[in-house]
Amino acid sequence: MEVKIEQKHLFGILYVCLVVSILAGLLVHSHEPTHAAFVWQAVFSAIYGFIGCVLIIVVSKEIGHHWLQKEEDYYERH
Amino acid sequence: MIAWLHPGLIFIFGALLIPVLKGRWQKTYMLLLPIVALIDLTFMSEGAFWSFPVSEYMLTFGRVDKLSLIFAYVFAIASFCMTLYALHVKENGQHVAAFLYVGSALGVVFAGDLFSLYLFWEIMAFSSLFLIWYRKTRASSEAGFRYIMVHLFGGICLLAGIIMYVQSTGSIAFSIFDWGLGWSHMASYFILLGFLINAAVPPLHAWLADAYPEATVTGAVFLTAFTTKTAVYVLIRGFPHVELLIWLGAAMAIYGVVFAVLANDARRLLAYSIISQGGYMLVGIGIGTTMAINGSIAHAFCCVLYMALLFMGAGAVLEMTGRSKFTELGGLYKYMPSIFALYMIGAFAISGLPLFSGFISKTMVVESAAHMHLPIIWLMLEGAAIGTFLVAGLKLPYLTWFARKDPVVEAKEPPKNMLAAMGVTAFLCIFIGVYPQALYGMLPYPVEYAPYAAAHVIGMSQLLLFTFVGFWLLRRMLHGTPTITLDTDWFYRIGGKKFIWFCEQPLVTVTEGIDKGLKKIADSIVWFSRNPATSSKILAAKAIVAMTGSTVMRTLKPGYIQYEQDLEKLKNMHVEEPVPRVAIGTGILLVLMMFTLYLVVYLTHGVLWI
Repeated sequence: MEVKIEQKHLFGILYVCLVVSILAGLLVHSHEPTHAAFVWQAVFSAIYGFIGCVLIIVVSKEIGHHWLQKEEDYYERH
Repeated sequence: MIAWLHPGLIFIFGALLIPVLKGRWQKTYMLLLPIVALIDLTFMSEGAFWSFPVSEYMLTFGRVDKLSLIFAYVFAIASFCMTLYALHVKENGQHVAAFLYVGSALGVVFAGDLFSLYLFWEIMAFSSLFLIWYRKTRASSEAGFRYIMVHLFGGICLLAGIIMYVQSTGSIAFSIFDWGLGWSHMASYFILLGFLINAAVPPLHAWLADAYPEATVTGAVFLTAFTTKTAVYVLIRGFPHVELLIWLGAAMAIYGVVFAVLANDARRLLAYSIISQGGYMLVGIGIGTTMAINGSIAHAFCCVLYMALLFMGAGAVLEMTGRSKFTELGGLYKYMPSIFALYMIGAFAISGLPLFSGFISKTMVVESAAHMHLPIIWLMLEGAAIGTFLVAGLKLPYLTWFARKDPVVEAKEPPKNMLAAMGVTAFLCIFIGVYPQALYGMLPYPVEYAPYAAAHVIGMSQLLLFTFVGFWLLRRMLHGTPTITLDTDWFYRIGGKKFIWFCEQPLVTVTEGIDKGLKKIADSIVWFSRNPATSSKILAAKAIVAMTGSTVMRTLKPGYIQYEQDLEKLKNMHVEEPVPRVAIGTGILLVLMMFTLYLVVYLTHGVLWI
């Protein structure tokens, strides 16, 4: 029970951090000359972080699953 | 007058006393050595010292400048933390190997010429081998053999390059090598190959991910720092501004991350992270601007410390539970909360979270890629940063300390010296992050980079926070599977086996065939020469029998049977006929007579002919 409450709190903090980081990005880059550059600079890292993470996991696992991952005694048997 | 000792020699000769001492004295002594080396370093002044003429060349063991000093400092500091971590180990051999390893790494750092560089380079390879072998498992012994074979190959490449270099230039100076395309740069190619093998650049990197996870718990901590970072050091010295390194480095950073995602062994995951981190340093060296080189050095400095801390954390779990595979770990937070906390400091440092050491060095390299307008490189490095946080900062701790409701095994916190070592290293990781000027002041070029600019901090925070979101959604996919991942060591592991098979099967059959054939010929010559007269008769008779032996001839010529009988008779004769045996003296006499006759003929006719 105790662990669950802790996790809930941690996720609360996480959500706050996510929102704050986006807002801070918008704030810091508010002086960018064009609207496109502003939006791009402000949230690029957030988007890249999420998409990059998903891509790395999915692509790596696919490569491993279909090609590189073998049973543990592979080298003994080959 | 030189008021200081070569710090490498403090370790190398200091190591010899370790087996003599016992108990508390030994421990104190081992902790004192790195401190003495560190104090020694502060007394060092820039210049070239410790030069010895050997035949026509000048060996320089002490080239001291800002570049060698900063590497020496981090090596000495790290070796103190690592020694503290290894203090409880009873085997003297491990301590001696570790100290020789540190000492030779310092030897490489201060080497001012190629010969002394090569000397320490090889000591480093051999001393580190024992940190793997002391694990005393079958896997470690085999991995150790592969490790040393690869390093011997790298050493030979380096030596070949050095010899070519000395041949063409007549000097053994270790400075920037010529770079370009063409045969005239062959020496540089070989030297670079030797360096790249130690820097663990794919596809020459497999030795690292193969051997480090098989090393002893404390040995692996030492291994993380010196081989790859001395390689980075010599690359900075020899090949700055070589564009090839930018691409190799960026590919390396991504490569390490992908394999770390697939790894099922905690220390193998970290080994791939070492490769990935090395990628940043190579990119910096390849870009070659003062900011990029500064970034590479700073990153090497930070990497030595946080990589050691990460290996200490994974090592502590292995030490206390005997497990390092994710499929056998989980839920250990209940028993090892402080190891988790200390590990996470290293994890935040490697991920480049603001206020931790990786942030102030990694962003320097990434930023210099942006300054040089290399968008693809920049994206690859940022991607590798995501991956690094994913594997070392999320996957490993999640699967080790959480992921399961109940701990897989009972465990307790490790010995105090291990905790203390992790504490000191963790402190340094935070200290450098909070007070980067301490590190920036030691760098060879003046630093104009401000890591804590708002845009940097916010960009990095966004990157890592949203990486966490991606991880949390897909965390089930990251659970360990009982598999190994094939890497480029496949080529020599499988290739080696195939080669041995080729030697044992087809090659041996062929040679045996040739051997038998030759023996037969020799036998028949012996048989023939025993009695040439009868032998030739037999051969003739055999030929006649063979010619007339066909069924047609048999029916046509009843006299044929006579030939066969003759052959039998002759065969018997040959065997039975007593061969006159002559004593060896008689043989020599005959030969001498022959020579005398020849001499007489030669003297008379030879003279006449002239």
